[in-house]
Amino acid sequence: MGDTQDQDSLFPLSAAYPIDRAYDEMYDRGHGVRDHYGPLQSRISTLGAGELADRQRTLEQSFLLQGITFTVYGAGASTEQIIPTDLFPRIIPAAEWARIEAGLTQRLQALNLFLADIYGDQTILKDGVVPRDLVLGAPSYRREMQGLFVPHKAYANVCGSDLIRNEVGEFVVLEDNLRVPSGVSYMLANRDAAKRTFPGTYRSSGVRSVERYPDTLLATLKSLASDWRSNPQVVVLTPGVYNSAYYEHAYLARLMGAPLVEGRDLVVHDNLVYMRTTTGLKRVDVIYRRVDDDFIDPLTFRRDSSLGVAGLFNAYRAGNVVIANAPGTGVADDKAVYAYVPAIIRYYLGQDAILNNVETYLCREPDQLDHVLGNLDKLVVKAVGASGGYGMLVGPHASLQERAEFAQQLKADPANYIAQPTIQLSTAPCLIDGAIEPRHVDLRPFILCGEKIVVTPGALTRVALKRGSLVVNSSQGGGSKDTWVLSDPRAQAQESPA
Amino acid sequence: MMLARVADSLYWMGRYIERAEHVSRLSDVMLTASLDTSGDALLAARTVLGAVGETQIALEGKSAVDVAAALMLDRDDPGSVIVSLARARENARQVRDQITSETWERLNLLFLRITSPKAAKQFDQASLPFLHEVISDLFLFKGAVDTTMSHGEGWRFLMLGIYLERAQLIVRLLDVCFGEAAGGEPLNDHLAQMNLLRMACALEPYLRVYTADIQPKLIQEFLLFSEEFPRSIQFATARIEEHLKALASPGLDQGSSAPERLAGRLSARLRFADLEEMASQGAGSLLATVNQDCARIHEAIYGAYVDYSLEHHLPG
Repeated sequence: MGDTQDQDSLFPLSAAYPIDRAYDEMYDRGHGVRDHYGPLQSRISTLGAGELADRQRTLEQSFLLQGITFTVYGAGASTEQIIPTDLFPRIIPAAEWARIEAGLTQRLQALNLFLADIYGDQTILKDGVVPRDLVLGAPSYRREMQGLFVPHKAYANVCGSDLIRNEVGEFVVLEDNLRVPSGVSYMLANRDAAKRTFPGTYRSSGVRSVERYPDTLLATLKSLASDWRSNPQVVVLTPGVYNSAYYEHAYLARLMGAPLVEGRDLVVHDNLVYMRTTTGLKRVDVIYRRVDDDFIDPLTFRRDSSLGVAGLFNAYRAGNVVIANAPGTGVADDKAVYAYVPAIIRYYLGQDAILNNVETYLCREPDQLDHVLGNLDKLVVKAVGASGGYGMLVGPHASLQERAEFAQQLKADPANYIAQPTIQLSTAPCLIDGAIEPRHVDLRPFILCGEKIVVTPGALTRVALKRGSLVVNSSQGGGSKDTWVLSDPRAQAQESPA
Repeated sequence: MMLARVADSLYWMGRYIERAEHVSRLSDVMLTASLDTSGDALLAARTVLGAVGETQIALEGKSAVDVAAALMLDRDDPGSVIVSLARARENARQVRDQITSETWERLNLLFLRITSPKAAKQFDQASLPFLHEVISDLFLFKGAVDTTMSHGEGWRFLMLGIYLERAQLIVRLLDVCFGEAAGGEPLNDHLAQMNLLRMACALEPYLRVYTADIQPKLIQEFLLFSEEFPRSIQFATARIEEHLKALASPGLDQGSSAPERLAGRLSARLRFADLEEMASQGAGSLLATVNQDCARIHEAIYGAYVDYSLEHHLPG
């Protein structure tokens, strides 16, 4: 039955599936199916358009039912929407993943050493490897963190880097997210859905499991306080139900078995942090905060914040509570500091970066600014402090007028901008209105760092759902799909009994 | 041990669920009554609107279907089912990490169905099946609560919400028919009395005890004092007392104002109420007392578990 092709089969695809400049995850340039996509491709080709559309619908229904939604803020009203999810998984072979894993581990190691240094002796600044004013003048630099003890010197405990695959098929790092990266719940939900959509293919492909993420996260968080508390109380701090990532906060709390608290649930007394429970106050040891630095403590940071806890930073300074990620980690994922990451890796580890950066122009340097202004039509320009696809210009897609306006902003405040060449992100097959078409994708793996660094063998693949678009952010019409990291066939052979 | 805010949300989730179920059932009985003679329908509709405390819906110039549609789907009316369900779900979302996926999905499904743009049309085309489906979905929700959630602290707060709301809703229903809210015109029509039993979901259990001998005195006796019928006030009070006793921590003696003590007193009051005296003086004063006691228990729960002052709890 599985071998007969449906009347409405969508294969062969080659005519409907243009392969352009971008690297395609499934097809090589001659429309040959890459080996690691073989089983999935042959499974899909036995299913007709109607069957695929049914599976896609079932998938979306189940997301809606589970409440896997994010909040979209429009004019006046806000609504809950599911993040559009594509049913075809994106597949990464074992050898490629091994390089990604080594590269991410190296990178986070170096960035944590960098944070410990700039909030400590600042040798890297004294040696002139990174310009002093670039670091100390960054809005994400927190003077309050200077000289504080941080367990295991692990400043960034939860990291979600953005990787992209360029035209020649090489994975490069686009951004290090060291503040409060989100999306891991979608990785887990997508996996759940993919298992139900393609159970046979999943089983036979040797996909590495991502389901350990919540307990690895809990172990990482506990390891931050285990030196001074025997069974540390971990909580997840959320801005509340109106935050766009609330689903994820509740999801992680539920899977870790940790209370999901809001600022109003916490009280600081004598530099100790407590939560208000039905049986009185209970001591809190580790706060996995999903609230930005600015909002965690109105006494230390933004005074108008009602999301945080008054006095929390003092309790942290006194060493009575751990905040993860540590305040001030944002300075290491600053878009301008990013350009120096290869130098940072060389400085602390004496190694070349395993994963390359995207070529980056710092507009604070006059000669680089001139180059950027002269090539606005070819470059992507980003504001250093912004994220989520806001405050950026995609040169090739912008009108003449938009570029002229942006050039004015650039000249007015050059230090606030960086520029990168537009990279054709790789494409992967997606089901779009009943047809299989290529769409650009990126890759967000999740890395945990407590006593040791653990890279989860999986990722969130974000998809730019508009044809030709390179913007994958969910706030800008992006979707996602499951990511299958395949286990090494040799390692598998060793594991199986003789 | 759980967060005070979480206990609060679970409690209100229970209250709104119970309210949604009650109003759906009232609508159902009213619509069914409207299939018969018009006099019954009007009486049933009056009883219903009297029994739904918060509503702003007026009866004038409306058919039973219009009133039921508003009770179910009017987003601007604080007493409507759609508003209760939206609030129940909002509370569930606040404590999404504390309730099981099975429980959440039941409620979310119902919420998505009743807020869908198609709901008004579906109600229009098949009102009674629509109501039955909402009520069965709420039964399924309660079943999921009972069979998938741990019967610990969080569950008890949810059940407290359900039973306190139920006690007050039944008090109000009886008051509209026999008490002060009846305005000296107690319900004496046979069909109307049957409908009252239906509104309390009590007709069949009543018939088993008293046979088809339907009398106001017996109806009140059953809905107030039955120890076995889950919607009687006595039954609800006994559960409230049970849950509060289980929640009370031995170290913290709150004296006579403790919620479990208040619940115990209400339970005793009902157990020793004088039926003959009530029959001669009417149920009004007892119903008012029960209602006041419920309100006091509600406040005491807040004082003990949610909104307590920090002074007594800070170390040294």
